[in-house]
Amino acid sequence: MKRNLSVAQGVAWRTLHNVFTNPSLVIPQLAFPLFFFTAFVGGLSRIHNVPGFHYAQGYTAFQFVFVLLQSAAFGGVFTGFGIARDFETGFARRLLLAAPHRTGIVIGYAVAALCRWLVTAIFLTVIAFAVGMKVGGSGIDLPALYVLAAIVNSAAVLWACGVAMRLRTMQAGPVMQMPVFLVLFFAPVYVPLNLLTGWIHGVALVNPLTRVLEAGRSFVAGSPAQVAAAYGAAFGLAVLFAWWAMRGLRKAEAAG
Amino acid sequence: MDHPNTIEAEKLVREFKKGPRAVDGIDLHVDAGEIYGFLGPNGAGKSTTVLMLTTLLPPTAGTARVGGYDVVHEGPQVRSRIGAALQEAALDGLMTGREHLRLQAALQALPRNERAARADELLERVGLTEAADRKVRGYSGGMKRRLDLAMALVHRPRILFLDEPTTGLDVQSRTALWSEVGRLAREDGVTVFLTTQYLEEADVLADRVGIIDHGHIVAEGTPDALKAEIGRPTVEATASGPDGRAELTEVLERFGTLVPSSRGVAVRLDAGEAGLADVVRALDAKGCSVANLELHQPSLDDVFLAKTGRSLEGHGGDASEPE
Repeated sequence: MKRNLSVAQGVAWRTLHNVFTNPSLVIPQLAFPLFFFTAFVGGLSRIHNVPGFHYAQGYTAFQFVFVLLQSAAFGGVFTGFGIARDFETGFARRLLLAAPHRTGIVIGYAVAALCRWLVTAIFLTVIAFAVGMKVGGSGIDLPALYVLAAIVNSAAVLWACGVAMRLRTMQAGPVMQMPVFLVLFFAPVYVPLNLLTGWIHGVALVNPLTRVLEAGRSFVAGSPAQVAAAYGAAFGLAVLFAWWAMRGLRKAEAAG
Repeated sequence: MDHPNTIEAEKLVREFKKGPRAVDGIDLHVDAGEIYGFLGPNGAGKSTTVLMLTTLLPPTAGTARVGGYDVVHEGPQVRSRIGAALQEAALDGLMTGREHLRLQAALQALPRNERAARADELLERVGLTEAADRKVRGYSGGMKRRLDLAMALVHRPRILFLDEPTTGLDVQSRTALWSEVGRLAREDGVTVFLTTQYLEEADVLADRVGIIDHGHIVAEGTPDALKAEIGRPTVEATASGPDGRAELTEVLERFGTLVPSSRGVAVRLDAGEAGLADVVRALDAKGCSVANLELHQPSLDDVFLAKTGRSLEGHGGDASEPE
């Protein structure tokens, strides 16, 4: 266990070191969520006046939850790009060779994804409060949202890790990104679930991220709802993709 | 239980999908503290063997034990006992040399309070102290190889795998690396498994040599023993004029077997070195005009030629092994 942790620490340190010492990696990580947040809140704020839209904290808080979860998911996927790059450049082989316990490699990437997302989350939260986001509820509600987003981040990086370790090329990028993109945007992004109609409503109903998004918004509103379903969905995805990532690791080992 | 620092393989096979058998049932035994040179041309199966012995590639069949541990079932134990510098020194261009060593120390779970001192010690040993805090993307090929070697040594492994460590290096870097590898084996007692396509490297460094061709080990032994097995020296004569070659061939073929020569006519002497005087007398009697006459002791290339029917010299170049 100690050796696994040491491997995880090494892999996480290296990933974070590379991200935070390279403006080309760190700036997009902060700029994209900020862009989405300002674009959605600024351009779509009148949706708050649509009949049936009853979200007391306003459209800024409504969109903040989505952008926070989106940044968590894409933070995981972007870390997956780095894993694929490591395989393409041969650096992953060095990790596989040097690490007596290889499970630590996957854990290390997941820890790095979480840490880099935390920086984005703090940045986004500061901006949201600066532009007047209103938060209801007790002191536990907002942290509950961050924990939920952290689980989403872990699920996303484990998904991307499994893909990267199977395909072992940067060309795997769209395979990692596209499903996450679809799951995110087939959830009630711009309006609450009750205002969606037609096929998109049907898809959103079965989309596990809908539960996560609705629960997240309820935390910010101070009236938690669907908490068990949201945590269950996020945790279930994380466990499923942990298995997927470990199977990917075994495939990478077998491929040499 | 104390595990030996040996490398053993029995009937080791690696077959790739839709490809040939890169390694076809090889047996190996490398003693503790020995430098074993694994010699062969590109595509012979050297790197595939190293990948299997270092747990990076599972064998299709056969067994291998490194440091007393099975490479398939006891991978973590094997990896904690070995160091390896593979053919491609895969380094992260965004990190410095010192950061690479720090990462390697973490991966090998070296105690935190030892990491900085160990990195300094290794950087000095491989001559990279001044470049330690520069990003690796600015390193030359030789510097990258030396950093790769330093990384392989971070956790003081008892068994070291070096896959073509000097390919593409200049003479100075090559000599420095040979000196360090020799020191590791003789002073620290490290077992070294070295693959190479350079005959001179195997001759200078290796206690024993295994020659691999098309996935099979075709010869094995100390360099001297292998050369003695071939036994007979070669005499090579170069004619003074353009028309003298046929005459030289006619004389020399009476003294042994003709072998390929790029400059003149060469023959492996049936009578060994003692036959040289007779060759000189015969050339003189025939009135041959000879510009140059050389006696060559058997080389590892002669061994390779004798075992495979092909010459290894000039076969490799700097290309990587396509496996």
